[in-house]
Amino acid sequence: MSSITLAIERSPASQLGNFIKNPIAVAVAYYVGAEMAFFVGTLSDKIFAPFWPPNIILFCALLLTPTQRWWIYFLAAFPAHVAAELGVGMAMPQLLVAFATNCLVAGMNAFAVQKFLGGARCFNTLRRTAIYILITTIASPALSALGGAFVQAMGNGGLEHYGLYWARWYASNALGSLTLGPVAMICLTETRWPTSFALTYRHAEAAAVALMLFAICSVAFNLSAATAAGGYLPTLLYLPLPLILWCAVRFGVKGASGAILMVSFVLIWRTLNGPTLFVVGDAETNVFALQIFLIGLSTPILLLGAAIEETRHAEQTTRESEERMAFVAASSNLGLWRQELATKHFWATRHCFDMFGLPVTTRPTLEALLNCIHPADFRFASIAMKSAIQHGAPVEIEFRIGANNDDIRWIAARARPEFEDGNVLVAIAGAFTDITQRKAAEAEAMLQRQEITHLMRVSMLGELSGSLAHELTQPLTAILSNAQAGKMVLAHETPNIGEISEVLDDIITEDTRAGEVIHRLRRLLKKGDAKYETVDLNDLINTTLRLLHSELINRRVATSVDLTPDLRLALGDPIQLQQILINLLMNAMDAVEEMSPSRRIINVSTNNVGDDEVEVRIGDRGTGLRAAEKQYVFQPFYTTKKRGLGLGLSICSSIMKSHGGSLSIQNNESEGATASFRVPCKIM
Amino acid sequence: MHDGNFTAFLIDDDPAILKALSRLLRASGYDVMPFHSSRAFLAAHDSSIPGCAIVDLAMPDIDGLQLQEALHRENVERPMIFLTGNGDIPTSVRAMKAGAIDFLTKPVRQSHLLAALTRAIEADAQMRQERASLQSINDRLSLLTRRESEVLRYVVAGRLNKQIAGSLGTVEKTIKVHRGRMMTKLGVRCVADLVRLAERAGITPQA
Repeated sequence: MSSITLAIERSPASQLGNFIKNPIAVAVAYYVGAEMAFFVGTLSDKIFAPFWPPNIILFCALLLTPTQRWWIYFLAAFPAHVAAELGVGMAMPQLLVAFATNCLVAGMNAFAVQKFLGGARCFNTLRRTAIYILITTIASPALSALGGAFVQAMGNGGLEHYGLYWARWYASNALGSLTLGPVAMICLTETRWPTSFALTYRHAEAAAVALMLFAICSVAFNLSAATAAGGYLPTLLYLPLPLILWCAVRFGVKGASGAILMVSFVLIWRTLNGPTLFVVGDAETNVFALQIFLIGLSTPILLLGAAIEETRHAEQTTRESEERMAFVAASSNLGLWRQELATKHFWATRHCFDMFGLPVTTRPTLEALLNCIHPADFRFASIAMKSAIQHGAPVEIEFRIGANNDDIRWIAARARPEFEDGNVLVAIAGAFTDITQRKAAEAEAMLQRQEITHLMRVSMLGELSGSLAHELTQPLTAILSNAQAGKMVLAHETPNIGEISEVLDDIITEDTRAGEVIHRLRRLLKKGDAKYETVDLNDLINTTLRLLHSELINRRVATSVDLTPDLRLALGDPIQLQQILINLLMNAMDAVEEMSPSRRIINVSTNNVGDDEVEVRIGDRGTGLRAAEKQYVFQPFYTTKKRGLGLGLSICSSIMKSHGGSLSIQNNESEGATASFRVPCKIM
Repeated sequence: MHDGNFTAFLIDDDPAILKALSRLLRASGYDVMPFHSSRAFLAAHDSSIPGCAIVDLAMPDIDGLQLQEALHRENVERPMIFLTGNGDIPTSVRAMKAGAIDFLTKPVRQSHLLAALTRAIEADAQMRQERASLQSINDRLSLLTRRESEVLRYVVAGRLNKQIAGSLGTVEKTIKVHRGRMMTKLGVRCVADLVRLAERAGITPQA
């Protein structure tokens, strides 16, 4: 949107003012443009200019105005047209037809550009520029020239030269669209006019090249006029070309259109006002040749400028998106990199080097980064990366960086191959993420989980303390009684040595039994890392039931044990597995607490499941789970007991997860519920 | 060191304790009959053997207190010593009220156990004596005729011979004869002895 339309739309108060101001400005511009055209030069009839800016002025004004208000501008331009043409002595009928065709070409241009390009911004891509040229340089001048040719036909020639008149009229309008049109429209759509002028290198360059172009054009066309017959014409004519290309390449479509305008201006001025280099025949023919030359030159230059503009814009977009991506990557702690295989070219974001603690001045290579890996991880990490590069396989690894142990950081590396033409490996690209915090949090959580597991074990044994003490009291009672009996046997006049020996044997046996109880308790009470080993779950169940012997008796609960004889060995931490067993057995005891004696039974069984799991089932004959409880039983702090934290099952479940097993509780068909857990077993 | 004819009935589900205590008690001069469960003890029990039951309180199936109740139900008198690993006060009170000799905590000291056994022997002897004297009273009572039994109930109610005769529709002299025979058969010399005997035998006076 241009500054003019903005002014129209912005304030309703000034609308009436603009309503009058804008058409008057256009009328003035139209008149000035016409006078300029006459100044540059007219053809032999003195009324006809080969270079005609007013049409472009009208075209631009219409392009910025809604179609229903076009009549205002036509109306405003008419007096300017009449004044200018009468000044050069054009007859009234000619003047009217000329005005009609001028309006027609400007209207057609504006209408088509508005319809196909949606506004004045026509030169930012090659395609839009091509469409602009198609409309304003080919279609609409060709059509309007059908009418314009009559102006000259009416003047002197008659209809037999209609074709020639058509071609001249066409060329005149087409040239305007190619030379003045782009400059005018670029000025109208420029959104970033400098607010304060500061002389930069680029400004200096533009001024210098413009000056040089002007000079070269003047000199070349002057010289060429003198040497036209000498055969140097083509050489001299193309002398400005390098400078035109310079403008297009360095300044895009702005430079291209500016250069075209300058060349056209100088060339036309020279041709009309002095010795001309186009010496084909009479003045009209010479000018026509000149117009054809300029149209031929301008079209590719304008397209080239547009193409360069488009490329530059695409480059800028790419650079911006790359910067944006690097910023986003850095702020989410990602370092990006890419290694081309053929050229060994390595690219990485700055954050990569920051992350690896390398100075920015480091030569960017993959080796420089990999060399920062902690010695303990270096071998496996570099092998993984190298094999990914070799085989083009995606890789995902985690490793530590930093040499001394105080400064270790964890990095997750991910890389994927890039293929071209389906299967040719060209590059490998990836990302580094700093996961130190995550690793620390994981370790912390692990430690806490261990602490809680241990605390729960201790508190569970606390609940069992009475029964566990009884387990110790039994062997101690037997030992004491045996010892006292032994003393009495010895007190005999003839002590029975055989009996003494038996007594001592029994004492040893019972002492061992007491020792085992203490050993089992110590294992359960001890805090330590989980140790995975092969576990005979049948043995573990028997041991656990022995430990709970007194508790079961005290709570008047019987057990029915059905252990599969050829049970596979499970893989797990025996202490944590026993913790689960104790917990589930105690839950089952609680479940049958209020039941009649016939229902105070806990069924314990083991089974092989599938190829790689063993299952333990602990069933009770209590009231079972209520439907609403089922989803909560594994949640921490959910409990149905009067005492208890509600952590038991949640911890059992997390122990099972860390074992790669599973824990579930289901109601039995008849009565009560069965808890079952599955543990992976040793693969034979 | 005991060297009488006294049997310790040991009941404990833990074989090691059963064996150790048996050994200790045998060494102390007692006869020992060990049982691994209350059920086994009840099945084989002979109340005529003088002795005492030493029972573990916590046992599967029938525990110590239940065994005590079972014996009471069957009207079997047997002194009982309870052993427990973790005895609480309510349980011990319950056991003692039901007539237990003692309530000992494991591991039990020999001296405590033997002291309790000594008391058990006394209790058992007393019980047996009591039962024996009651038996002899009952034996003598069974010698009485129907009329002599009637007279006995009037006499212990404090009625005079004349009154008894009135009640039974006979003469005082006849009552005197009945009364004399009855006194002879029961082996008592005075009314005070007769009243004591009748009381022990649970004979209700005739109002």
